[in-house]
Amino acid sequence: MSKGIVMNCEQAQQHFVDAWTGSLASDEAAALNTHLDSCGSCREEFDRAQLYWNALGALPAPEPGPDLRTAFYGRLSRIEHGAGGERTGWRWLRHPAFQAAAAVLLLAAGLGLGRYTGSREDERLADLRKEVNDMRQLVALSLLQQQSAAERLQGVSWAYRVEQSNSEVLTALLHTLNADPNVNVRLAAVDALRNFSVAPEARAGLVNALPRQNSPLVQIAILDQLVDLRDRSSVPSVALLMHEPGVSPEVRERAEWAVKRLQ
Amino acid sequence: MERVRQGELAGLAALFERHHRPLFQYFNHLCGNPDLSRDLVQEVFFRMLKYKDSFQAGGSFPAWMYQIARHTHVDTMRKRRFEVIPGGADSPFPEPASREESADDRLSRRQQTELLRRALNRLPPEKREVLVLSRFQNLRYEQIAEILDCEVGTVKVRVFRAVRALGEIYSELARQRAC
Ligand SMILES: [Zn+2]
Repeated sequence: MSKGIVMNCEQAQQHFVDAWTGSLASDEAAALNTHLDSCGSCREEFDRAQLYWNALGALPAPEPGPDLRTAFYGRLSRIEHGAGGERTGWRWLRHPAFQAAAAVLLLAAGLGLGRYTGSREDERLADLRKEVNDMRQLVALSLLQQQSAAERLQGVSWAYRVEQSNSEVLTALLHTLNADPNVNVRLAAVDALRNFSVAPEARAGLVNALPRQNSPLVQIAILDQLVDLRDRSSVPSVALLMHEPGVSPEVRERAEWAVKRLQ
Repeated sequence: MERVRQGELAGLAALFERHHRPLFQYFNHLCGNPDLSRDLVQEVFFRMLKYKDSFQAGGSFPAWMYQIARHTHVDTMRKRRFEVIPGGADSPFPEPASREESADDRLSRRQQTELLRRALNRLPPEKREVLVLSRFQNLRYEQIAEILDCEVGTVKVRVFRAVRALGEIYSELARQRAC
């Protein structure tokens, strides 16, 4: 089956690196071996260069040390506080192209999984998971701040993909729930908060949002979720809502139902 | 608005946390100067801010980042009129071996490492760069091709030629040490 590919010297040399890293397809590997068996000078070059390639991999990796981090965050916080004339802001993170790039990076990280081998595999997988989570956080947070409601909705859906322990995204979702002008985005945020329901802040955030909402739809969604979560600690707040003036009849009815279910 | 910025800041910090180490290693392998490398890493992140519009939708983030890193390196070297003098950035080298030890296979592992580092420093910049990108940065060849603006096949051949050149320099250095 490998008889199909015949390599000349230059083609063979193009495949050396892949052979060293073990990323040749089987028919390519067979064709390369056939060439190396019949071409003494390529064989010699291949073996010799592989020696140096491997030796390079064993060179100790230099560490940046703590100074770099200190300096970076120092400069970051100066920018954050608008000092030093670098008031560029962080709007570039909202640039659609950046978000596309971030998504591609996520994909690349996913595809890259196959490249990792060896004893540090677990460590690298953990690193990779962290990167993926960081990037998801970045994308979710960026999208939640977009001008268009459609993009903020996307941001909410990205929030499902971060780990439940991600407090930045949780904070952003609660902020969306309380402050987003669009009802659909707020409804989606209620649903997404279900993903964080192990966190006490998420439950407390839902309860606190109840009286602040001006939309009966969102209030009902919150009530339903509190019932789903069997959050008994919310009963006093829900009971209070029932007697709040200005609450719509549908919400009052739902609150009554919720209190009964929770008790 | 302040909350918004806080969230985005967390995202940028995540990027820094993820990429500052490989970037530092990239620069340090290129110029062999840790202090300068730290400055260059910072510069890359603040250039990302400045050149945010140069993002291409659908492009690869690492490729974009390393393109900025390359330019940062080139510009800084030009500005500082600081060239890597071949072999100039080496750390103190052990005393020459005695005349009895003439073959390079007598070199200790530590000496071999030192010699390899010297050989890397003596490679022409473009060869050193392709080697650093392919061997130390965990990038895919498609990404390296994008960074260097050439074909994937070309990258692979250039990597091989760079390794071959490295081997020649190494052997030469080992011979010099031996006699
Ligand atoms: Zn050949």
